Amino acid sequence: MSAVAEASLRQRALAALQAIRPHLTIIADVEGLKPFETDALIAHRETPMLAVLPETEGQVRDIVKACRKLGVPVVTRGAGTGISGGAIPHREGLLLVLSKMNEILEVDTVGRTATVEPGVRNLQVSEAVAAHGLFYAPDPSSQLICSIGGNVAENSGGVHCLKYGLTVHNLLAVRAVDADGDALLAGSRSLDAPGYDLLAVLTGSEGNLGVITQATVRLVPLPERTETLLAGFATVREAAEAVGEIIGEGIIPAALEMMDRVVIDACEKCMHLGLPRDADALLLVEVDGGDAEARDALARVSAILERCAATEVRVAADDAERARLWKSRKGAFTALATILPDFYTIDGTIPRRCLPDVLEYVYELAAEYGLVVGNVFHAGDGNIHPCIFYDANKPGDLERGEELGGRILERCVEVGGTITGEHGVGIEKLRQMCVQFRAPEIAAFHDTKRAFDPDGILNPGKAVPALKRCAEWGGTHVHGGRVPRADIPRF
Amino acid sequence: MEIARELELGLPHGSVLVDREALKPYECDGLSAYRATPLVAAIPTDEAEVAAVLKVARRNKTPVVARGSGTGLSGGALPLADGILLSLARFNRIQDVNPTARTARVQPGVTNLRISQHVAPLGLYYAPDPSSQIACSIGGNVAENSGGVHCLKYGLTVHNVLRVRAINIEGDILELGSEALDAPGYDLMALITGSEGLLAVILEITVKLLPKPEVAQVIMASFSDVEKAGEAVANVIGAGIVPAGLEMMDKLATSAVEGFVHAGYDLEAEAILLAESDGTREEVADEIARMIEVMRASGATDIRVSQSDAERLRFWSGRKAAFPAVGRISPDYYCIDGSIPRAALGRVLSRIEELSARYGLRCANVFHAGDGNLHPLILYDANIAGELETTEKFASDILELCIEVGGTITGEHGVGVEKINQMCVQFATAELAQFHAVKAAFDPDGLLNPGKAVPTLHRCAEFGKMHVHRGAVAHPELPRF
Repeated sequence: MSAVAEASLRQRALAALQAIRPHLTIIADVEGLKPFETDALIAHRETPMLAVLPETEGQVRDIVKACRKLGVPVVTRGAGTGISGGAIPHREGLLLVLSKMNEILEVDTVGRTATVEPGVRNLQVSEAVAAHGLFYAPDPSSQLICSIGGNVAENSGGVHCLKYGLTVHNLLAVRAVDADGDALLAGSRSLDAPGYDLLAVLTGSEGNLGVITQATVRLVPLPERTETLLAGFATVREAAEAVGEIIGEGIIPAALEMMDRVVIDACEKCMHLGLPRDADALLLVEVDGGDAEARDALARVSAILERCAATEVRVAADDAERARLWKSRKGAFTALATILPDFYTIDGTIPRRCLPDVLEYVYELAAEYGLVVGNVFHAGDGNIHPCIFYDANKPGDLERGEELGGRILERCVEVGGTITGEHGVGIEKLRQMCVQFRAPEIAAFHDTKRAFDPDGILNPGKAVPALKRCAEWGGTHVHGGRVPRADIPRF
Repeated sequence: MEIARELELGLPHGSVLVDREALKPYECDGLSAYRATPLVAAIPTDEAEVAAVLKVARRNKTPVVARGSGTGLSGGALPLADGILLSLARFNRIQDVNPTARTARVQPGVTNLRISQHVAPLGLYYAPDPSSQIACSIGGNVAENSGGVHCLKYGLTVHNVLRVRAINIEGDILELGSEALDAPGYDLMALITGSEGLLAVILEITVKLLPKPEVAQVIMASFSDVEKAGEAVANVIGAGIVPAGLEMMDKLATSAVEGFVHAGYDLEAEAILLAESDGTREEVADEIARMIEVMRASGATDIRVSQSDAERLRFWSGRKAAFPAVGRISPDYYCIDGSIPRAALGRVLSRIEELSARYGLRCANVFHAGDGNLHPLILYDANIAGELETTEKFASDILELCIEVGGTITGEHGVGVEKINQMCVQFATAELAQFHAVKAAFDPDGLLNPGKAVPTLHRCAEFGKMHVHRGAVAHPELPRF
């Protein structure tokens, strides 16, 4: 678009937005737009044409209608904590910021549901219902600031989703505004809803199908008892096999996390936690439930860990010790940042049974590329986050790191896994979508998109690659798994 | 017939049925009051043959209705007189079982129970268990997103399926879902599940298997009124307990059943609850103790706990025989399928009692209380003039009540042709329009199971004029379970 046409479109959009009643908060000046130019994929930046902060669903509908009429793209943003770039603004588009829609509308303690606006923070929900002995289970690391609307858009996970499921499993209903400006109610508060499962389709659709204006989430009773264990293993393979054994016995821990030598060393150097120094891998296991259930699970997990040749098993005696055990896991990424100047984290998911082999492959590759790779991840889910260390000042280091990352993701797909765990596709993994899917599935995604958004005004260019681009990228298949912008820290 | 000839070109001998006698078994599914003879039936044995059938359909713009075992209760597999009936009965292989990953890859014609039987030696089972599990097919389960007694704890079909391989009307194979926790892209697997054959034909399903629980025990609790029993259900769930099954029967149901199967029910009680716990020995002991406590606090007048597996099965035998038992005490009955938020259970049951008094018709309640999935059974006599009409009004009031309290018009039976009018009550125009847009995205010419599951907006507009009858279900004389 020429500069003149752009300015004219901007004027028309501004006028249309200013005509909406009640009056909207509109940000049109470059300084004001600055904070919105990226989300947590900070290497990508774009200044939106305009930003707008509605307070009601009615305003959202009017905004979308106005944009549709003018052909102006709409990028929806929650708290801007997404790490795949789903909320990166569009240069010729409107940034629709939902942070002012931040009310908890209703808490039903009997039905155990909360109905919230999209800008409500994840942790805010649990805080609001804690007095009733309830919590909202999905807990992304960014839960202090990330918004429920963003969680729905990305189908976010967290440490506890092994037992409690992803966002989609904890949602009962959403209200969403489609590209026509119509508000849709998807899902219901009862077990089953007739019609196609639009709730599941909207969840994880990364702002491509509708703007989430309300979510009714499931609340879970706070467990009566929680037990936390830390186990050391002489080898990564043994630790990975222990993960399989625990799940194989039919135990579903609340969390089952793994850390390798690289991460243990970094944590020790940084935090002096007294972690087992002779272990090549640690498992952090948490079980919860009723009193007897949690004790029983603790005994069973302890027995399995011993049988799997754990070199040491520590059980937290109290909450303070539990917090100390978790500190290594939660502080791991900060600690890692002290090892080498740069690292980036891969996000892929594999069937659990493939963990030992895939991890071994990761180390083999690391040796082949002469790079250090550390692993700290949601082992119970098979959601791996290999961290590849490099020095951006060393010529060729970054490129080697990218290639290594690409090969890891390709292996994820090869063993029947996927290129995402909990971070979404956004703009970061568009290219990997072409490795994950064949043309008929990509085409079905586009058809679905058109069913909600015929003109493609909602978050264009994200989440699903154009078939044409897949064809172009097909030529670079060896690098098909590689992650662009590898210099971004991710958690 | 041109269509049959075209089909015969792509399918082996004996796979295309055209004569009336041969087509007879396909003329209805479990909603047997609706019948139609299809133009032709095709029974392919492999994916290439399914693709060939769809190609013929596409070329001739002939509708296709896919059919599994034909046990569906809402008429989703009802043939179209001008359409092809596509039977997937020959897709009956269990392709492989992975005991480590606890998954089974099966063809759509495999029966639900066969999966559990097949993996039983490994100590595993497939959790969703519709009453018809001995006969119903897994493909049909996916198409209808079926439930069962155990879905309170273990979820509906959609929660137990990992991957679906499907073929769209264009003949493209779609691989949806993944064995990993998360799959990128839109969740088309969830979209296909419960889409009642309108979006694609399912060719293969990878299901999740669960380890068989070590023990199971059931509590039978008596209550002096139905509302209290309903509140006890809400309290059990409210206490953070998720029983493996939580079923309710009222006095009318227990008295009908007791004379029939001698399950040992408390005939003094206005309502009984059956609450099952499964898991490890410690877990079950703990959960049973907690449930007893909640039931007592909720006003249970008597509580018994099964002391052996034989006793547990005896307690369940009454629940399982409830529908035939009710059939013995009334010439006709009509079963409703609706879901409500659990918290509304007590309130809705009292309202049903009031309605029962107002209409002068008995209503037995036997249902999945833990899920809030109601199955009120209205007892009537079709030979008494006006009684059927009164029953319809009563039923319509109940379904409206479900919607009024924030519930839905389906629990586990799907919409099919049976509840297509109620869809107009359940949804606003925007949602219905969106359903049609989704349908058009997969099947632009509307050749897959047209006329089912989602009403046209035009139909809803007409239906709106008959507003008083909006909850009435056609053919209420049908027994449903």
